[in-house]
Order: sequence, then C-alpha cells, then structure tokens
Amino acid sequence: MIRKDIPVINRLGLHARAAAKLVTLASEFSSAVQLERGKKRVNGKSIMGVMMLAAGQGATIRVMVDGPDEQEAMASIEELFRQRFGEDE
Amino acid sequence: MGLVINGISVSRGIAIGKAHLLRHDELEVSRHTVPRPLIDEEITRFKVALGKARRQLRAIRDRIPHHAPADIVGFIDTHLLMLEDAVLTEAPIEIIREQQCNAEWAVKTQCETLVNVFEEMNDPYLRTRKDDINHVVDRVLRNLMGPGSGEAGQQSRGAKDRIVIAEDVSPAEVLIMHHEGVAGIVTRYGGPNSHTAILARSLGIPTVVGAPHVQEYIRKHEALVLDGRQGAVLALPMPVELGYYRGRQREEKRRLQELKGIRDLPARTLDGVDVQLLANVEIPEDIPSIKKVCADGIGLYRTEMLFINRDRPPDEEEQFQVYRKIVRAMKGAPVTIRTLDLGADKTLQEVQRDHVVMTNPAMGLRAIRCCLKEPEIFVTQIRAILRASAYGNVRMMIPMLSTLQELRQVENLVEEEKKRLRGQRKAFDESIRIGGMIEVPAAAMAANAFARRLDFLSIGTNDLIQYALAVDRLDEEVNYLYDPLHPAVLKLIRMTIMAGKKAGIPVSMCGEMAGDPRYTRLLLGMGLREFSAYPATLLEIKAIINSSRVGMLEKYIRRILRAERQEDILTLVETLNSLH
Repeated sequence: MIRKDIPVINRLGLHARAAAKLVTLASEFSSAVQLERGKKRVNGKSIMGVMMLAAGQGATIRVMVDGPDEQEAMASIEELFRQRFGEDE
Repeated sequence: MGLVINGISVSRGIAIGKAHLLRHDELEVSRHTVPRPLIDEEITRFKVALGKARRQLRAIRDRIPHHAPADIVGFIDTHLLMLEDAVLTEAPIEIIREQQCNAEWAVKTQCETLVNVFEEMNDPYLRTRKDDINHVVDRVLRNLMGPGSGEAGQQSRGAKDRIVIAEDVSPAEVLIMHHEGVAGIVTRYGGPNSHTAILARSLGIPTVVGAPHVQEYIRKHEALVLDGRQGAVLALPMPVELGYYRGRQREEKRRLQELKGIRDLPARTLDGVDVQLLANVEIPEDIPSIKKVCADGIGLYRTEMLFINRDRPPDEEEQFQVYRKIVRAMKGAPVTIRTLDLGADKTLQEVQRDHVVMTNPAMGLRAIRCCLKEPEIFVTQIRAILRASAYGNVRMMIPMLSTLQELRQVENLVEEEKKRLRGQRKAFDESIRIGGMIEVPAAAMAANAFARRLDFLSIGTNDLIQYALAVDRLDEEVNYLYDPLHPAVLKLIRMTIMAGKKAGIPVSMCGEMAGDPRYTRLLLGMGLREFSAYPATLLEIKAIINSSRVGMLEKYIRRILRAERQEDILTLVETLNSLH
C-alpha cells in the first residue's frame, strides 16, 4: 500500500464536480482507494464518501492506494489534484 | 407600475416573457409494512426505479448542447455517480429488509440521513450540496411512485420564451429548460452557490433565486420581466417599462460584441482620465489569462498557494524562482506581490502546530500579524521578493495592517534585508515600493498616517466590509447584511482614496467590489484610479470606464456620500450607472 498527503488547491475545494472526477478516476483502477481527512476515512470510489470529506480549498487529503496498479493510480490521482480538477479559475 | 418581487441575482441579463408556473409538489411519502414474502419484490421495484432514474439522467446528458461549457456534463455526472453509490443503491435495500417497509420510505429515510450529514458541515459551499442529494432522491421517488409524479422538466416542455416560476429546480431541469429555449428562471428557494445557480449562470439564462412567495404572487401566463442583474421580477409591466427593458436587452447584446473590440484600447474615461486595470492572480499559470485581456499589470499576486499544505515553507530560492517567473513574464508592468496572508483555513502546518487555533480566525493571528510572529518565514519571503524585484517592476504589499507599529517592524525588516543583500552583492530594485492593504476599518480611518509612510495603498473590500459590518460573508444566516453600499463602507473607502490623494500615492482596490461592474462608476466617481480584479471581468470594467465621464459622476457621488439609507444609495448608484 502507498500513501500520500495531497493538498486541495482549487478554489472551490473537493465539491461535487471535483469529487465526481476523482471518483470516476479512482474507479478506473483495480486498487482500493481510500481517502482520509482528520478523523474521517472514506472510500475514494464513492461519490457520497468523497463529498462528505467536506474538503475545502487548503485542506490536505491523505490518499491511500492498495492493489496491483497502486503506483499508477496514485500518480493519476495526484495529477488530478495538481491540475485543480481541470477547473479554470 | 407593476408588481416587483426581489430575489437574489444569480445570472445577469434580461428576460421578457410569460410566466410559466411549475408545480413541483413535495412528494408525500408514507410508510407501509411489507409482508415478508413480498420483500424481494419490493427490492426489485426499488432497483427498477433506480435504473430508470439513471437512464433519464443519461438521456438528459446526451441533450446537453455542444456549445455549453464542458463542466456542465460534470453536474449530471455527479448525479449519475450518486445513483451508483452504495449509500443510495444498497443502503435502501437494507432498510427495506430490516424495517420491512416500502421502497419509498426506505429511500426517504436514507435521504434524510445523508442530508443531515451535509447540514452539519462547516463549509457553506459544501453544505448546500445537500440539494444534490434531494434532487437525485426526488428523481428516484418519482420513478417509484409512477406517473402523476412526473418531473418538472417534462411539464415545461415547449417552454420557449417562457419564464419559469418554481419552488426550486434541479440542474437537470435547468438543462432541459435550456434545451427548450427557456427565457428565464425564478425560484423561491436556492442560493447563489447552488449547482442550479452556477449552471444557469454558465448557460447565460437570466435567473433569480430566493424570490419570496413568488408562486403565490404571480399568475399563470402573466407578462413578466426578469431583471437578472438586479435580481428582480416585474409582473404586469407597463408598456413604458417593457420598452425600457427591451432597450436594455438590445444594449446587453451590443455590449457583449463591443467587449471584444476594446481589448487593445487603454482604459480612459470620455473626459480623458486614465485608469489602471490590474489583475488578481494566484499562480504563474494565471499569466496567459492576463495577457488575453491586456491588463496593465498585476494588482494582487496572492502568495499563499506556495505555502499551504506542506510541512515546511518554501525556501528563499524556490520562492525567488516563482516570483521571478511572474515578474519576467509581465515585462516591466507592475507586479504587486502580497506577502503571506495565512490564517482562517489556509494555515501553514508548521505555524499551526505552534499556535493554538482560535475560534475566530478572521480576527486572529493571520496575515502580517502571523508574519511578524514568525519572522523567519517572513524574512525569507522578503528576501525572495527583493531579489525578484531586480527583474522588473515589483511592488511589495503588506496585508491586514492595523497599526503603524506593524508597519515600522516591516520597514525595519526590509531595510535589514536590503543591507544584507547589498553585502552579498545580490541584485534588487533599490527603490522597490512598499504598500499596504487597507482592509481593517481602523486602518481605513487612520489611512492618512499609513499613506504618509507607504508608497501605495490597496483596499481589500472583502475583509473591509466583513469587519466593518461584523458579517461573515460565508454564513448564510447573516450574509444578507453584507452590503458594499452600506454608508459606513463607502465612507471607509472614500477616506482611504482621499488619504492616498493627499499623500500623492496611488490607491487601488483588489477586493471583489473592484471587479463588480455595478460599482465601477461609483468607485470611479469616488476617485479610484486603479482597479484590480480577476482577468475575466476586466474588459467589462474597461467598457464602463471608457463610457463614463468623471466630471458627470461627481455631483452624484456627493449625494451618495451624504445619503443615510442604503436604498437611497442603491437608487443613486443605479442612476449613475444609467448615465450616458
């Protein structure tokens, strides 16, 4: 399993649309994806779970990926965060 | 004059049409006990309804026009993902089994659980996301309950040139309405941050939300004018009013065309007063959007993005590289770098560990206060900014000043670093200008003292208004009180502008008010000559400036500054905006 702390840098935070992109991306991999913020830990492939993290701009998400394609999954997820979920701001 | 109902402006533009009342009755869900042998059948019924809801949403997604912004598909995808999420696909099945209840009841119970979680969230944006759950659940319920509970979009078929009046509409319904060429939307509920609002805005549908009792006051097929800019609905307009709004509609269309044409023109009023239009940016990647609108420079570069969410602050070299990149890209145009404005939820983890997090962070240890308490971080940033100043036209801006003592401390630190850089033979701009943000009301009232010691001032309206009126803008319970036109706010702004004038230094404004075209003429008349806003709004601001005469604005400004009631000020500002 690999884990990494990734900052939420887009202005609106991990809101519904960003969450949808994250869940869609996470679901493409066979590895299990878990997200943690504070005491909350959720399934990264569940839209409700991700939205319930309530992660606004400035929050840090601990991403944990476990499975055969974990390296690739982590790299893609990190890139999505870095690209601000493709939002133009 | 007809009946006027005021709501919250969400999407600008004017719609003229006929009222189309959308019945969207609350679904009555009651609980029945399902006999054990029929439980499996009940579960199947739930699954079928879920499948239908998914197919409907996919069909809606397929109908999204190609010219619509790309993220619109995202709204629908979000709802589709919700319909595939275990909390909606599996949890209700468990409830049906455990409680031996009907599917409707199970869905409703689960919905309430989910909505409660969202309601407890601190972030107001995320708190409004419970609307998404309600919309999705509503769709499943209507499929479960069969015909007669059909969705609003189907009723609105053929809504061309109609203004839809509804309790609330879902993003999916907005899409269907858009497809059918709806002229405008008015809802009783909903806030400016809801998906529905964002979607309506990006599709350019004139929309007003939060219009109280709108369904009771407006009758079917009644002639309506929707003024998206004012957030107002006018029922039974008189012919003269209709004529006025038709004119404004044409004007709006023409204006959009004109904006493209003024890109390369300088911002100059009709009576020859030059205005600087500056951009607010956060990262070097924002530079292309500045070039696209030909801004005169950067009025606010927020450096927080470099600092947040890492264990250690960036070192001098890393900061220097980023600042230099921006300064070089601007090729001699002013680049105003704001020193760290940490605090609220943007907290440097290292600082956070050392200091107790206060309950009222907006008034706590943030911005310059935080920097002076952590001089090591601050000094590193000062050095990086100084070094970047060798590559262009850099202005250093200190946020949240409230006392001269703070300013003196900053000056001492800057002088010390200049001395050290000279010793190390590192280049910097010897005459680098240092300015302060005026965002604490006390600083605005003492603006003369600050103006005498600084090279420029910049008014941060977001915080200034929030502090002056004691209103948290993100708190939905009180944000109706947040008003840039409050007489006290205008006085604070005026004091700051006059202080700059007296001291002979430039005063800019980098808060949201500077990027709001409703206030451009007001600010221009009050003496503001530098506006800093998101690049996307600058052309519109320029169009207003280039069609104004400062000489004509001044007599209205005197009346505005004397007015005591906010509604009088609003009326005067509107008069100002309609001057030719």
